Amino acid sequence: MSDPGATVLVVDDEPQIVRALRINLTARGYKVITAHDGTAALKAVAETKPDVVVLDLGLPDLDGTEVIAGLRGWTTVPIIVLSARGDSADKVEALDAGADDYVTKPFGMDELLARLRAAVRRSAVAGADGADAVVDTASFTVDLAAKKVRRHDGEEVHLTKTEWGVLELLVRNRGRLVAQKQLLHEVWGPSYETESHYLRVYLAQLRRKLEREPSRPRHLLTEPGMGYRFEV
Amino acid sequence: MCSRSTWPCKPRPEGHTDSVTTENAPAKPRRGELRIYLGAAPGVGKTFAMLGEAHRRLDRGTDVVVGLVETHGREKTAVLLEGLEILPRRHAGHRGRDFDEMDVDAILERAPEVAVVDELAHTNVPGSRNAKRWQDVEELLAAGIDVLSTVNVQHLQSLNDVVERITGVTQQETVPDEVVRRAEQLELVDITPEALRRRLAHGNVYPAERIDAALGNYFRPGNLTALRELALLWVADQVDVALQRYRAEQRITDTWEARERVVASITGGPESETLIRRASRIATRAGAELQVVHILRGDGLAGIGPAAMARYRKIAEEVGATFHTVVGDDVPAALLDFARGVNATQLVIGTSRRSRVARLFDEGIGASVVQRSGPIDVHMVTHAEAGGRLRARLGASPLGLSRLVAGWVLSILLPALVTVVGVFVPSGLDFATDVISYVLVTVVVALVGGLGPALLAAVFGAGLLNFFFTPPLYTLNVHTPQNLVTLIAMVVVAVLVALVVDQAARRAAQAARARTEAALLASYARTVLTHANPIERLLAKVRENFALTSVTLLEKQDGGWQPVATAGEHPCADPDEADVDIAVTADVHLTLRGRALPAADRRVLEAVAGQAFLALRQQRAAAAAARAERKAEATELRTTLLSAVGHDLRTPLTSIKASIGSLRAADLELSEEDTAELMEAIELSADRLAGLIDNLLDSSRLATGAVRPHLRPVGYDEVVAHALSNVDGSDAVEVAVDDRLPSVLADPGLLERVVANVLDNALRHGGAPVSARASAHSGQVELRIIDHGRGLRKGAADSAFAPFQRLGGDRDTTPGVGLGLSVAKGFTEAMGGTIRAEDTPGGGLTVVVSLPAFSVEFEQEGVR
Repeated sequence: MSDPGATVLVVDDEPQIVRALRINLTARGYKVITAHDGTAALKAVAETKPDVVVLDLGLPDLDGTEVIAGLRGWTTVPIIVLSARGDSADKVEALDAGADDYVTKPFGMDELLARLRAAVRRSAVAGADGADAVVDTASFTVDLAAKKVRRHDGEEVHLTKTEWGVLELLVRNRGRLVAQKQLLHEVWGPSYETESHYLRVYLAQLRRKLEREPSRPRHLLTEPGMGYRFEV
Repeated sequence: MCSRSTWPCKPRPEGHTDSVTTENAPAKPRRGELRIYLGAAPGVGKTFAMLGEAHRRLDRGTDVVVGLVETHGREKTAVLLEGLEILPRRHAGHRGRDFDEMDVDAILERAPEVAVVDELAHTNVPGSRNAKRWQDVEELLAAGIDVLSTVNVQHLQSLNDVVERITGVTQQETVPDEVVRRAEQLELVDITPEALRRRLAHGNVYPAERIDAALGNYFRPGNLTALRELALLWVADQVDVALQRYRAEQRITDTWEARERVVASITGGPESETLIRRASRIATRAGAELQVVHILRGDGLAGIGPAAMARYRKIAEEVGATFHTVVGDDVPAALLDFARGVNATQLVIGTSRRSRVARLFDEGIGASVVQRSGPIDVHMVTHAEAGGRLRARLGASPLGLSRLVAGWVLSILLPALVTVVGVFVPSGLDFATDVISYVLVTVVVALVGGLGPALLAAVFGAGLLNFFFTPPLYTLNVHTPQNLVTLIAMVVVAVLVALVVDQAARRAAQAARARTEAALLASYARTVLTHANPIERLLAKVRENFALTSVTLLEKQDGGWQPVATAGEHPCADPDEADVDIAVTADVHLTLRGRALPAADRRVLEAVAGQAFLALRQQRAAAAAARAERKAEATELRTTLLSAVGHDLRTPLTSIKASIGSLRAADLELSEEDTAELMEAIELSADRLAGLIDNLLDSSRLATGAVRPHLRPVGYDEVVAHALSNVDGSDAVEVAVDDRLPSVLADPGLLERVVANVLDNALRHGGAPVSARASAHSGQVELRIIDHGRGLRKGAADSAFAPFQRLGGDRDTTPGVGLGLSVAKGFTEAMGGTIRAEDTPGGGLTVVVSLPAFSVEFEQEGVR
């Protein structure tokens, strides 16, 4: 399910990667613009106003986080970063600077596409409410309007207020990484920043209530140290 | 009454009297005999032994029933139950759960001769007739039934606190000691810790699933050894000794002052060895550490030679004490200063070696110490040398204050005495005798008091001789020139003797001082030769020996003075600040702070300073050598890496190129399946390459120390779930990680790599089923990845984590360069955790990752 006509800006200094992405994304109906370094990227975003930016962190001229900071100064365009394996530090830095999601190199094409779709959808429905009031998964259905969850074996699941708050935020951002800080801010309040153990406990409870195999979650996924993601 | 010599025998019904008792006495039912099998830990074989005995009695025709035996799923134990009559258990419910308990009534009704009842310390389900099983057993014994039972040493009440410290687990089930001691027969079932661990590894004690952090900790060799020792000692009634020691050891965590510390002072005489050994016994009894100190007097006159010092140092080390040397003139003061400095609580010194006569003049060190010791207890130890003869110290007597005073007093007293004798016994003494008496007196005074008093005695004696015995009597005139010559000669003799005595005393003092210096220098030289980092030790010794505040070695670097090494507080930053400054070279100074030292001490210090400089050079050379060696090692690792990698990286690349070549071949018509297969091969090879490169990168990051973990609270459940999604074949992994366990302090990315690597290793080499379990114990949370494959070779537990280790050795053809576990170890340790390999009970490998728990209390709303 792609978004016909959505524009993607691909920023990477490695021509093979750019080529592979360009071919794949174009074939799926995206309009693809490319840039090969940070300065070109900043210019391209200003000129073409893409719907989503795929940004490699290892650019030759500017640091990836500098590009993000530069963009975030004036635009809320979704940014997905491509980071090298190893340190979670550069990913966390990127997310803190304002990136929305990440994919680790070498990545599977499917993973990148899923994140792209999720990112584009958010910018499309920002503000609009009605669509997607009901989200269906393989094991349960979430009714955002009625604030209810029903398991597919018929049982309605009772959630506490906080549990619902967490679930709703994740579901509204389904497919996207929701940072720990964002979850804490929106569900508990702006003064909550470091209480990640709260999240752990509540996610564990949600998994126990909703997942078929809580120790192998399929929908309520944790990216340890970074955040959470709801997959349909 | 059943006696051992009459088998078989049946119990008499209650009320039946023995043939020996009187007819009118009420019949006392015979009490059953209790036989207990005591063990140090689960799995040693108590139940096994008990059942063996039951069978033996059964074979002899005794009526034996099994009241209750727990097999814990152990096959060998279960097999032994066959052939014995087992009474059914009583079912009891409590809080919705069903329990099986021993049916006491059924046993009493059945009235066997012997009942077999396992686990004496067991707590019965609430609602049972007795709270504890040992009370049930008491009932059986009171009814005349013999009982065989088992108990673990951890259940004994008196050992509760010690066992808790050893194992870290609070003991809930306890048995009062008397119950066990009252048993007619107590059999200790004992096996070595290694044998028990082997049993555990074979799966004969607990199945693999039951091993969690607490049990894993319980079965550590150190633990098992301590428990075994405890059991042995308890049976031998020697627990007090061990308890003292355990408690003393535990007190390491208590405040420092609370510890007992014993200081023994030796003079260096032959009684020193006795003293050290006695002091060692005193220290052991008090659970204290022992320090032996030898006071070197500044003038060295009471000192011992280096050979003797080395001998006593060796004896001190044998008994586990440390040996110290302190230089000081006032021995009691120096000793007490040292003792207070180390917070000694007890002092051990020898009783005086002096005879009673000598003690008239000088009480000796012992009494002085006792007087001034304050809160420190002083033990005076007798020895064979105590109360020795008055030893004439020819020419070697120290010219201490007391001697001088004695000398002056005698210089007046003795000549007066001679005069008195001469005056009141006029007939017996002629002039010559008088003269020689006065000369004798002068010589004695010279020996005692030295030059000054001798001169006075000479002049005074000459005066008295002149006045009382030289004609004309009672005047100071001398008539005959011979008498004048005699008088003058007497004075001259006296003066010469005094001079000689004084010289001899000085020479002796010098020689003794030289001996002290030699001893000190020898000890410093030994420090430099034998220690790995001699400078610090050398400076510390100097500080201790001379009782200084600080000793610092300064080096001139970039125009300023930099401290190279220091001992003590308030080190000097500049040679000008020092009380004593010794220049080794223009750029290196040894500075001392604390007090000014006499010139004689400076000689020694200059020698020491030279040695310190040499030690410094030596240390720097060693450091450079170590750096060079590390570089060589790193190069070697890199070479090995490159060669190992060459093959393993090229293989997937080859596969990729071959597949791509086939796909791109213009002249090749491939079926759809073939195309799909080739493309799958490309993807798999690419994945494999990625995995290898990850491991290589991680290895090299670890090798160069470039891993910087960002620690934060992380849950094992989250990390394991994430790791599973990235590992091939993860469906075969059974996960039992409770999400309610405390978080651990870890770097999420690194921990995920650790878990992924270990899982990958388990799946690849161990084969399914693989399980992941987590459990918490005493501040640590452990994750166990358990496989049931081939397991480790004996003794390979440590080398498993070395890089490039492959199970099958060099001929192992399984893919992978053998870095997974070494990377896992490196990352785990970088996060401050530990990783180890254990045998899975029943065969296989268990890798245990242990990290500190990060727990936080907070309020939670709503329903749990």
